[in-house]
Amino acid sequence: MKNRVAGAMLPFEDLEHGLTSETLDTFKDFVASVIRAPNLLADQQEAFLAGVAAKTLPYPSMSDRAREAILSDVLCLLAEGGAPFHFRYLAPDFKKLLEQGSEFLELKPAENLHEATAMLLTAYNYVPDHGLTPVCIGRIDDLLDPFLDTVSPSEARAVLRSFWLLVDRLYPNAFVHASLGPEETRTGRLMLELDRELETICNVALRYDPEITSRAFALDAVQTALQVTKPYFFNHRMMLDDWGPDYAIASCYNCMLTGGGIYTMARLNLKRLVALTDASIEDTLDTLIPEAAHLQMEVIDGRIRFLVEELNLFEKSFLVHEGLLSPDRFTAYAAVFGLAEAVNILMERAGRPEARYGHDAEANGLGVRIIERLAGELRAIPAPYCDGTAGHVSFHAQVGINPDIQVTPGVRVPPGEEPDLYEHLQAEAPHHRLLDGGVSTILEFDQTARENPEAVLDIVNGAIHNGIRTLSVGSVDSEFIRVSGYLVRRSDLEAARAERAMRYETVDFASVVFTNRPEALRRRTRQV
Amino acid sequence: MTAARRVDGEGQKEAVRDPVIPAQEPGSGAQPPDQYIGHVSHLLLRSTVDGPGNRAVVFVQGCNFRCLYCHNPQTINHCNACGRCVEHCPNGALCLMGDYLAWDEERCTRCDACITACPYHSNPRVRHVSPQQLWGQIEPYTDYLSGVTVTGGEPTLQMGFLRAFLATVKDSSSLTTFIETNGCVSAEDTRQLLPVLDGAMVDLKAMDPQVHYRLTGWGNDQTKMTIRLLASERKLYEVRVVVAPGYSDNLENALATARFIAEIDPAIRLRFLRFRPHGTRGVVADWESPSDELLDRLVDAARAEGVVNVSRSM
Repeated sequence: MKNRVAGAMLPFEDLEHGLTSETLDTFKDFVASVIRAPNLLADQQEAFLAGVAAKTLPYPSMSDRAREAILSDVLCLLAEGGAPFHFRYLAPDFKKLLEQGSEFLELKPAENLHEATAMLLTAYNYVPDHGLTPVCIGRIDDLLDPFLDTVSPSEARAVLRSFWLLVDRLYPNAFVHASLGPEETRTGRLMLELDRELETICNVALRYDPEITSRAFALDAVQTALQVTKPYFFNHRMMLDDWGPDYAIASCYNCMLTGGGIYTMARLNLKRLVALTDASIEDTLDTLIPEAAHLQMEVIDGRIRFLVEELNLFEKSFLVHEGLLSPDRFTAYAAVFGLAEAVNILMERAGRPEARYGHDAEANGLGVRIIERLAGELRAIPAPYCDGTAGHVSFHAQVGINPDIQVTPGVRVPPGEEPDLYEHLQAEAPHHRLLDGGVSTILEFDQTARENPEAVLDIVNGAIHNGIRTLSVGSVDSEFIRVSGYLVRRSDLEAARAERAMRYETVDFASVVFTNRPEALRRRTRQV
Repeated sequence: MTAARRVDGEGQKEAVRDPVIPAQEPGSGAQPPDQYIGHVSHLLLRSTVDGPGNRAVVFVQGCNFRCLYCHNPQTINHCNACGRCVEHCPNGALCLMGDYLAWDEERCTRCDACITACPYHSNPRVRHVSPQQLWGQIEPYTDYLSGVTVTGGEPTLQMGFLRAFLATVKDSSSLTTFIETNGCVSAEDTRQLLPVLDGAMVDLKAMDPQVHYRLTGWGNDQTKMTIRLLASERKLYEVRVVVAPGYSDNLENALATARFIAEIDPAIRLRFLRFRPHGTRGVVADWESPSDELLDRLVDAARAEGVVNVSRSM
């Protein structure tokens, strides 16, 4: 049972008709394989079966061409299934929750650190999004620092420790994402310390601005990242430009508005788009990409309308009734991946097979032209109910999922092929400005970096200054590997290979990623 | 094509004879900076081990010391255009042009056959660059850097160029300027460097002058004076001791070094570097790297003598 996140469609899925009498036996076999899976816990089986059931329904109506694009893997819906019954990502306004309490949850406003942490842990359980796990758990330091002095310093540490432990044990999923910063607070420092101590896989982002974030806090974050490959460094100023002050981070590195969310994500496989034709560079830019953007938007449009108009999700949500979510702060993702391969194929067709993405100025320039063109096309098409981003979709670099063999996530240079550090950053940076919905560049350093975290911070600062939106910093000998956007521990990978049941279902995804794409483990190590 | 110009003698300051650019007198600050030409064997655009933060590191050609354990012995001498490397170059990238050697950077694959073949501890791939030219190669990366470190070879042997280059860095950026030196130059030379220098890492190879002489071919009086001078001017970043088996891997040397430093200022950083056979030549290639335990003992001993900031390499 290794394809729980399968972006590839399940064998009985049918876009047009849903489950039919012809596919009923296949469906039953599939359900049987889930309940017999030796490596799934009961609640994992239950969640999986719910997803499987939803996939028996036909997809919201779409044109023949859009359906063909999905069937030929040019477009992919990331296991959202025919009839999604929840939003893809939600970022409730937890600050407001702590201030006003919740009638639905029967909770009064929090008055001390105990109440605040208990309230958050409770609320997380009622956020119906991706995998039914909360993927955005908020700005922990901003949320909890006002309560820090309600208990003694040692008790504060103990409470935060329990909180951080419970986030992991109750929601064991590497897509759970907490944020810190940009200001240094005692809570922020404690959270970094606890993260190093507890070594959980929960994702963490540091909203980083060299002008606001203290150097000591930033260096602490670098040291933490060299140990546990997090926090991510987010370019706070770029995020402010795109989203304003109330932005949230969820899942891998997915950007959205606090009090809002993402309805759905449809992703475009650029490699597949180009490889299925013999289009030249100009044909790709002028014909293939505009057509693909229209199909992508058609599919997104249908799914948003299904969620909002047919399922009336806003109307039944207590989060909306209590003002913790606002429909006008929502949008959807049009995502993209496989840029590296698309560029390499096109350069080969143009008679320059040696010009590889990441290494050649013309190839890199072509990459930027493709992403610019796609961004322009997508933004020109109105998207329903996407008031969070002024009536159009947000553009996202998708990291890839387990069936993506030999396709590089997002706009990255393929792992193992990365050029020298500065060139690597400068090749990927131009895309980061365009991909407001999230994108990241991954750097792994050798062991000497731990002795000189200032040097790594210099590189982070340079990257941010040169237009990187999100940077992952890690150490080559760390137990924690940045798979694509989320984390996995090496020891958990071993357990997954031995088919042992485990709390972290995301380990399964990582295990399949590394089986399909072993090169993903061979990133260039940077000696700084 | 760049040319490694022939030099008579070895390790002499400003001994470079150049057909185009007149030899420079050290200390003549009135020279326009670009009239100084530096002899640069290598440029690294990032490093964590050459001072604070991420630094660009300039390796210059030419050193007066003859350390037994030199890790880059090809930087010791200026090329004497003997032509030996030309025969060994598999790519036809080297050519003897009378009294200098021409190097074709395009053809060169950096296989290092020339360096292995050189009987004179030199390197035909030295670039002869003005301060502006060298800065031009670093400048695009200033956003990623804390500073620039000039090492070698011995950077202070090219004092005119060094001053002009560090001044160029200071004039053009907010990067800090560091050197890594054996401390051999005169107090007067060091003083002239101070206005454009933020910090120096000084190697103190051994405290006992006899041991120092056996290890390097020079005494250590001047090095000790340079350390005192830099410390009093607040420009001493770190004192470094390479822990060399049979020479400086003993407690006595660590204790004496620590006492020397503590007397000047206990806050001076002291760092013990592990000898590694990588890059060395001759008998020392068979030396063993000192153990972690030994390095820790030396660190503890130095701390016990009152030096506050003692560290060691990994």
